[in-house]
Amino acid sequence: MEADELLMLVAGGDQRAFEELYALVSGPVFGLVRRVVRDPAQSEEVSQEVLLELWRSAGRFDPGRGSALSWILTLAHRRAVDRVRSARAAGEREQREARRSHNPAFDQVTEEVEAGLEREWVRRCLDRLTALQRQSVTLAYYEGYTYREVAERLSLPLGTVKTRMRDGLTRLRECLGGVA
Amino acid sequence: MSLFRRENLHSLAAPYALDALEPDERRRFEKHLKKCDSCPAEVRALAEDAVRLAWSAAAPAPAAMRERVLAAVRTTPQENAPREAARARPPQLPPHVWGVQPPPRERRRIPLFVPFATATAAAALVVASLFAVQAGQTEDQLNAERTQAREIAHVLAAPDARATRGQDTEGRSIGVIASASEGSAVVTLSGYDDLPSDRVRQLWLMRPDAQPRSLGLFGDDTPLVASGLDTSATSLAVTVEPDGGSPQPTTQPVVQLALKSVGFGE
Repeated sequence: MEADELLMLVAGGDQRAFEELYALVSGPVFGLVRRVVRDPAQSEEVSQEVLLELWRSAGRFDPGRGSALSWILTLAHRRAVDRVRSARAAGEREQREARRSHNPAFDQVTEEVEAGLEREWVRRCLDRLTALQRQSVTLAYYEGYTYREVAERLSLPLGTVKTRMRDGLTRLRECLGGVA
Repeated sequence: MSLFRRENLHSLAAPYALDALEPDERRRFEKHLKKCDSCPAEVRALAEDAVRLAWSAAAPAPAAMRERVLAAVRTTPQENAPREAARARPPQLPPHVWGVQPPPRERRRIPLFVPFATATAAAALVVASLFAVQAGQTEDQLNAERTQAREIAHVLAAPDARATRGQDTEGRSIGVIASASEGSAVVTLSGYDDLPSDRVRQLWLMRPDAQPRSLGLFGDDTPLVASGLDTSATSLAVTVEPDGGSPQPTTQPVVQLALKSVGFGE
C-alpha cells in the first residue's frame, strides 16, 4: 500500500497501518532530520516526535492537496529546522561544530548508507546548479539557515539569495524531470 | 526585521518552501498567500521540489526507534479530527500542506480511491470536491450529483466505514468505501476506457450460495452508491453488459474485489 492510503487508515486509528507506514517513511524522515539536525541522539528524538505526530494528527492530512509523503516530509523538515534553530540560539551549535570536527565528515557517514537512485539523481542535479544556487538551497534546506543567514554567510544581498533559491529549485525540478 | 513592500512578499515563495523564513516573515507571507491567487500553486510546486531534496537524504532509522515509536502509538490517543477542525488552520505548518488554501481545480476525477478509514473529515472533502467542478452543468445534473454527494457522505460518516482497492496489471482499479453496519458502499472505477454507447458497466454483489445481485450501473466518471448490502457478501464484480443492464451477468467480470477487509463476508 502507498503512504496516502496508509495515512488515511492511520487516521482511523489503525495501528497495523501505522506499522506499515512506519516501514515506509521512517527512513526518509530520519534521514532528513539527521541531515538537518546532525546530532544522532537529537535526530532520533526529533524523528520520534515527528512519527508520533503522524499518528496523532493523521486526520489532518488532506489528500486533495498533495501527497502524503510530501505532507510527512514537510512536517519532518519543519520540526528539524525548529530544533536546529533553537539549538543554535542556545549556543549549542558551536559545541556541536567542535565535536563534529573530531568525527568523520557527515557525508562520509551517509555514504555508508545505501545510496538510492533518487539520491544519486538529486546529487547529480544539485551538481548542475551554479555554486550560488546550490549553496543557497542547501544551506537553507539541509542546514536550517534562514535566507537572511544564508545571505550573511555568502555575503550576498537578500534579493540575490531569494532569486538563487528560486532558480535553484526550479532548475532542480527541470533536471529531475516529471518523475515526482 | 525590515518592512516589506507587497511586491517583496511574493519573492519569499522559495525561502518559504525551504522553511527559510523567520517566524515573523513566515506569518506575513502566509497572510499574503491567502490573498494571492497565483501563490498557492507556485508554493506547492516549490514545496514539491524541496521534498525531492528530503527524499534524497533518506537513511535507515535506528532499529530501537521503531519499538519506542510503536509503543508510544499504542498508548497515545489520536486527535479527534471533526469536520471543522480538519479545515481549521493547525498551528505552525504551512497552509499548502494542511490545506487551508484551495486546491488547484484541474482534476475532473474525484479522488475516491484512497481508503477513508474514518470519515468525518473525508466526507467534507468528498462533498466539496463533488461540488467543486460543476460549471456548465444543468440544474438536473447538479441536483443528481448533490443527492449522490449526500449518499456518499452518509456512507463515509458511518463509524465503521472502511476502504479497499483492487488494481489490475494494467493500472485499472476499483475502489470501495463501505460500511457493514449501514450495508452501503461507494464504488468507483478508474482507468477504464470508454465503452461503446450500447454497452454499460454493471456492478454485482457476489454472495456464497446465491446468484449475483445487481447493484447498479456505472455512469461516466461518477461513483456508484450501493445500498442494502448484507454482511454475507463476499465480493463485488463488474461486468460489461448491454445498455440498460442485465438481470444476471452475461459476461466475465472485468474486475472483482473481495470485501473481507471492509467488514463483510462474516
